[in-house]
Amino acid sequence: MTFDIKVPNDGSRLDVTGLELPPGMTTVIFGPNGAGKTTLIGFLSRHEGLGGPGMTAYLQQRPHMFRGTAGFNLGLGLDAEAAGWARQLAERLGVAGSLEQEAPSLSGGEKHRLALARVLATPADWVLLDEPMAPIDFAERTDLLAVVAGALGGRSAVVVTHDINVVAALADHLVILDRGRIVEQGEVSRVMGSPTAVRSAEILGKANLIGGIAESSQGICVLKAGDVRITGMGSVEGPARALFGAEAVTLRLSRAGHDLSNRNTWVGRVESLSRRGQLVEVVVDIGVRIVAAVTPGALMDLGVEAGADVGVAVKASAVTIVST
Amino acid sequence: MEFLGEVVGDAFAAFSDFGPELLEVIGLTLLVSGFSTVLGVVIGVPLGALLALERFRGSGVLRTFVNVGMGVPPVLVGLGVLLLFWNAGPFGALGLVFTPGAMVIAQVFLAIPVAAGVTRGAVGGLAPEVIGEIKALNLPATMRYRLAIGEARAGVGAAVVAAFGRVISEVGAVLIVGGNILGETRVLTTLIVQEARQARFGIAIAAGMVLLVISLIVNVSLGRLHRPLGVGL
Repeated sequence: MTFDIKVPNDGSRLDVTGLELPPGMTTVIFGPNGAGKTTLIGFLSRHEGLGGPGMTAYLQQRPHMFRGTAGFNLGLGLDAEAAGWARQLAERLGVAGSLEQEAPSLSGGEKHRLALARVLATPADWVLLDEPMAPIDFAERTDLLAVVAGALGGRSAVVVTHDINVVAALADHLVILDRGRIVEQGEVSRVMGSPTAVRSAEILGKANLIGGIAESSQGICVLKAGDVRITGMGSVEGPARALFGAEAVTLRLSRAGHDLSNRNTWVGRVESLSRRGQLVEVVVDIGVRIVAAVTPGALMDLGVEAGADVGVAVKASAVTIVST
Repeated sequence: MEFLGEVVGDAFAAFSDFGPELLEVIGLTLLVSGFSTVLGVVIGVPLGALLALERFRGSGVLRTFVNVGMGVPPVLVGLGVLLLFWNAGPFGALGLVFTPGAMVIAQVFLAIPVAAGVTRGAVGGLAPEVIGEIKALNLPATMRYRLAIGEARAGVGAAVVAAFGRVISEVGAVLIVGGNILGETRVLTTLIVQEARQARFGIAIAAGMVLLVISLIVNVSLGRLHRPLGVGL
C-alpha cells in the first residue's frame, strides 16, 4: 500500500509522498527528533486506508491510563480471548504484578508496558507503535524487543523510532524520514547495507546491521551470516541481527589480522571510500558488507585503497545481537 | 438604617411565624430543582461528551443550540413550555399546566444546555493524549463517553453545580408554567417575587437566605465529592 500524506497546517511541514507500507510486514519509520514521525503515525492511525480510528491498534508516545485498575486498562476494548493474550504479554513485558494497582498511580514505564501489551493483543489489521522502547531501560530493551518482535511477526505494523535497536529488531521494511520527507525506503538490509542518500547515512549513524542465525552459549552469542561469524552481546537463538557502529570497526593491514584480542577479526576487500565529515567511511566486503568509519590519518598509515585487502576487527562488546 | 434592621428582624421572625409554609415551599423547590437537575445532567452530560468527541451531521447545529440555550432567558423557555402544554396546545391533554410536572419540564430545558455546555468544555479541554487514547481504543460509543466523563470529572462536577444553580435561581420559567399557587407550585424564587411585590420583605429575605444556604450546601458537597477523586490526575 502506498500513501501520499501532507499535513501542512500544524507547523510540522510533513510532506510524505509514496510511503510504502507492505501488508504483513513491519515497517519501521526511522528518523531524528523533529522529523515528523509522531505526526505521521498519528495521521496513519486515523487514515481510512488502514481502517480508520478505532480499527487500528495504536500505541501513543505517551499512552494514557484511565481511572481504574491496571487490569481494567489492560483489557479496554478487548474481548475475552484478546484480554487473555494481553495478560500473557503483560507478564512477558514485566508488568503482570501491577494489575491490581490503580493505573494512574503507576510509573511512566509501567503505563507504557501496559499500553504496549494491550495494543499488541488488539486484533486489529494494523498495529501502530510510536517509540515503543522510549521509556524502557536500555538493559531491558533487547529482551522486550524480542517480545514485541514475536507479537508482530507476520502482522501489518508501522513503528516509528529514533532508536537503531528498534530498527534492528523489528524492521522488515525501513523508511528513513527527515524534516517531514522520506529520504529513503526499502527492504531493511538494502537500506542499511547501501544507503544511497547521504542524509540517510548520517541519520543511521553509519551503523552496521547484519542479518543471520544466532546461537548462544555461556553468555556469548554468535551470529552466522553466510560464512561470516559475528560474536556479540545477547542471548538469542534463531533469526537475528547484529548491530554495531561504524566507529567500532577498526581496520589494519591484512597480514597482521590475528594478533588482537578481538573476538571478531576478518579479512576483506575494500569496496569504496567516501568522506563523511571528519571521518572516512570505508565499505569492506568480508562476505557481508561492513562499514568502518576511520580517521584520514589512520587511512594514510594503512595505505588502504579501493580493491585492497584489509584486516577488519570489532570488539564483541560493541556488538548487540537482537532476535527478529 | 432603621428600616433595614427592622426588615432583617422580620426575616428571622418569619422563620417562626411562617415555618410550616416556608418548609413546604423549600420542599417543593428542592424537589422540582433537584429532579430537573438530575434529568438535565443525565441528558446534558453525555450530550456534552458527544459534542466534544464526535463530529457528525448536525453536530454544529446542536452545538449552537447548546450555546444559545446556556444563555436563553428562563421566561422564554417558560413561555415555550406553557404553549406546548396549554390546554389547546399539542400536549394539552396531559393537563400539566400549573403543576410541578410542568415546572420540572421547563427547568430540564434550562438545565440541559448548561450541563452539556460545561461538560463539552471540560472534555474538550482534556490533554490531547487522553482524547487520542479514547479515540484510538476500539470501544463502543457509550464506553468512550464514560471514560471521557470520568477523566473530566472535576469539570463535570462543575457542570452539575452550574445546572443546579441555573434552575434553582430562576424565577421566570417556574412562574409562567407553575403559576405560583400556594401549596401547589410556589417555590422560593416565586415566593420572593410575590412577597416583595406586597412589601412583605421579611418573608422575602428569609426565603432568600434559604436559597443562599441551599446553594452553599450543594457547592460544598459537590466540591467534596470530586476532590478526593481528583488526586492522581
